Amino acid sequence: MRRIRAIFIRLAGCFGAARREHDWNAEFQSHFEMHIEDNVRAGMSLADARREALVKFGGIEPVKESMRDRAAFAWFGAAARDVRYALRNLGRNPGFAATTIFSLTLGLGASLAIFTIADYLLVRPLPYRDASRLVMVWEANQKSGNNHIVVSPANYLDWKAQNDVLEGMAALAPIRSAVLVDKGRPEEFEAQAVSADFFPLLGVQPVRGRLFTREEDRPGNFGTVLISYRLWQSWFGGEDGVIGRTIEINSLSSTVIGVLPSNFHFLDRDVDLWAPLGLNPAENYRKTSGRWMVSVGLLRPGVTATQAEAHMAALAKRLEEAYPAFNKNWTVAVEPLRDAMFRETKTPLLVLLSAVVLLLGVACANLANLLLARYHSRTREMAVRASLGAGRPRLIRQLLTESILLGGAGGVFGLILARWLVLGLRALAPRDLAQSAEIHIDLRIALVALALCILTSIGFGLAPALVTSRVELVSAFRGDSRSGFGAGRLLRTWLVGAEVAVSVILLAGAMLLFRSLVGLEAVHPGMDPSNLLTFRVSLPLVRYRQAASRTQFFQRAIEQIERIPGVRSVSAASCLPFTGGCAGTTVNIEGRAPAKPGEALVASIQTVMPGYFQTLRIPIKSGRDFREADNVTAAPYRFIVNEAFARQFLRGEQPLGKRINAWMDTENPFGEIIGVVGDVRALSIDQEPTPTVYYIHTHLSYPRMVFLVRTERSPALFAEPARQTVQRLDAAEPIANARTLEEVLGENFARQRFSAWLLAGFAAVALVLAAVGIYGVLSYSVTARTREFGVRAALGADVPHIITLVFQSAAWPVVGGLVIGIAGALVLSGLLKSLLFEIAPRDPVTFVLVPFLFAAIAGIAAVLPARRAARLDPMEALRAE
Amino acid sequence: MADKTDVRQGTLALMIFKTLETLGPLHGYGIARRIEQTSGGRLVLNYGTIYPALLKLEQEGFIESEWGASDNNRKAKYYRLTRAGRGQLKKEERDWAETADIVSRFLNPGEAS
Repeated sequence: MRRIRAIFIRLAGCFGAARREHDWNAEFQSHFEMHIEDNVRAGMSLADARREALVKFGGIEPVKESMRDRAAFAWFGAAARDVRYALRNLGRNPGFAATTIFSLTLGLGASLAIFTIADYLLVRPLPYRDASRLVMVWEANQKSGNNHIVVSPANYLDWKAQNDVLEGMAALAPIRSAVLVDKGRPEEFEAQAVSADFFPLLGVQPVRGRLFTREEDRPGNFGTVLISYRLWQSWFGGEDGVIGRTIEINSLSSTVIGVLPSNFHFLDRDVDLWAPLGLNPAENYRKTSGRWMVSVGLLRPGVTATQAEAHMAALAKRLEEAYPAFNKNWTVAVEPLRDAMFRETKTPLLVLLSAVVLLLGVACANLANLLLARYHSRTREMAVRASLGAGRPRLIRQLLTESILLGGAGGVFGLILARWLVLGLRALAPRDLAQSAEIHIDLRIALVALALCILTSIGFGLAPALVTSRVELVSAFRGDSRSGFGAGRLLRTWLVGAEVAVSVILLAGAMLLFRSLVGLEAVHPGMDPSNLLTFRVSLPLVRYRQAASRTQFFQRAIEQIERIPGVRSVSAASCLPFTGGCAGTTVNIEGRAPAKPGEALVASIQTVMPGYFQTLRIPIKSGRDFREADNVTAAPYRFIVNEAFARQFLRGEQPLGKRINAWMDTENPFGEIIGVVGDVRALSIDQEPTPTVYYIHTHLSYPRMVFLVRTERSPALFAEPARQTVQRLDAAEPIANARTLEEVLGENFARQRFSAWLLAGFAAVALVLAAVGIYGVLSYSVTARTREFGVRAALGADVPHIITLVFQSAAWPVVGGLVIGIAGALVLSGLLKSLLFEIAPRDPVTFVLVPFLFAAIAGIAAVLPARRAARLDPMEALRAE
Repeated sequence: MADKTDVRQGTLALMIFKTLETLGPLHGYGIARRIEQTSGGRLVLNYGTIYPALLKLEQEGFIESEWGASDNNRKAKYYRLTRAGRGQLKKEERDWAETADIVSRFLNPGEAS
């Protein structure tokens, strides 16, 4: 309490200094008068009495100084003085200030931006109650090793009924298309079908209306729908009257029963409509359907995902034994929801996080380095201050004030930079990030920034300050710059070595990612993506019940779009290349014995309209393309397969004329293979093509087809004419997701491109900083050795010799840093493994190129100081000190 | 600022308290002089060091000050123990006796019971 009282008095004491001083002067005056009087009374002369009193007092100024310290917070005033002084000092050397602030800004800005994103994705709670207990429950195939496979309704129902580790389970499935028509305006939206317990499991409450009841979650019950906040605002004007309104979805009337909160989304942020899933517990789904749902569970309190998975695996084992035909080699995988949401982003983010920490390290080392160089030129000033009575702590405080000012400025600019970077990253980033509009820099991040820049400026300002403040007066005044600075020089060498090592690590990482990206972009996708427009058309089954009517609609749409001037050819297929693949199913080859359970041949299935291969420019390797005549109901089943199919399933047998079928429908007659086409990377550009069977549309007449329009130029411009053409055929038919195939392909590269460019940016910054460091050390060393070089020149050393000497002094930190950096990169490059495409983490080309590249940069940084040394005039050099 | 004094850290406050308790309200010069005299000249004290110490104790509320007139009718600032100061004196006396006792037992282990 006493302490606190004193603190308040002292705080108050920061003001009214003049009155206080006056009071003290009066008190001292009376002290001396009394003392002198006593002395005189004791028999001293007045002069002696006065002198004795003064001597006995022990110096008025130090006492006052001590009382001032005591009266107010001394450091308060002193700090203000230090700040003023430091500002003046920095202002006198703006180049130095700018360089340090710039390097800190880059280091802090990059770090904060990546921290912000990492915080958002990896730390921040998800918008569900008990989010940490939510898990995805996937099917896992032991043969393929794939752990994230969609779920069979039959297995889901059994898991749900028989497990003891989950408090509840719910299922959802993307609805393939949801065309909403309201007051004659059609548009296609993303939709999910969910079980009635889905929203309660996540703890989500509607902002208007209510959720689905169990009665509504029955098979064939499509009468109710929930809408997103976004749709409520944009389509229905945010009116409360939307509840109970009847709208048309896929040509069926449906009642809006509720609006979900604005931040609600599950796995897919684009969803605007939710309908009941309507599973029928009585149906034998193992006979009637494959795997197509997603299931989510809520762990019982205290149960971990790993424990749950072990328990569920035992359950899956029992199901495998009970239903070998369906479940042979299938087990279950439990994945925390957050991991499932950010599976793709997590690794690149961790890589970038490590990279920014390294970059921040380089920026800090550079700060320390620049400070040392700067302080060195102030040796004499330090000596003057020391000889005037400034103690070492006082000198250190003064120097630290400067570095904290620099750090603070770096922090402020860093925050500004980080703000821009976060915006930029959102634009550049893969979908996970691009959709996370909420990412922004908040108070917590700003606090992290503050802590970071104070830590860096104290941490990295302290060592230089300690070294510099150890002033040896005599040598400092003699102007002998070599003697007092051994420690500083050594420290700088180490710092440069560390900068080099870290930059080399970053450079190696960036190089690996770039080589991988170049490799990826050079991959031939198997078709020609240029000048292709794609969009989706989904026909409502209610109005297009007959397969022939659907084929006919698509055929007419294709013919009419082809008539638009500038369009070369048009076709349609059930799914788009590079977007995660199409349905897969078991295929059989006529004449072969049925496969044993778990060893069936599985192929991707595409259904296409005639002209598909020609429009995409997929080469026909042998046989022929589908013709119009194949696309009529009466035509016999005929298939086209890709080369991967021929290679993997027919192993050298002649494919043409072989008869195959695929389990796609209730009846699957065998049909002849009439052609073999080139492979397309259908899953994504970095994955090998899978065996694929192409149907002609009439035999697998999907209502939802993706159109592909080959144009002469600017494909994006054809979206509107195409929409008009489609709506002339059916006014209630919207087109959805119109974009060019190059955009689709670009999304494939997004993740790699994102990581590669970002790491390259960090590496470039680190390189610049390291080069500045090398330059600084050499430049300092040349100055310090001016006399030596002068002597050498006078004794006849030629220019190359002097240059060699300068280069030699940089050799240790650069070579040492290179060796350590390469070793570090070899260890750390394993982290990049999952981001690399057809490049080993220890790619020899990278690890040979990086040292050369770096040596070249070090050489450039060394040239200027070396030239200065070589041009020294011996006479001037000898006079210099 | 080098205050060269052989007064041990922390003991100066105790001496000030004791002086004020014994002599009643007193000015800084008087306190310094009294401390020196009491020590029998064995303590080397710069009179100036008394003032920062007085300021600290005043801030902590153990003493209070007031301008008044000295014996010779001079203006002087008089310091006086507050109630809290008296309490603090008792406490410090006890602490000091305790410390002195412990230290002396260490120095003369034979006398320990």
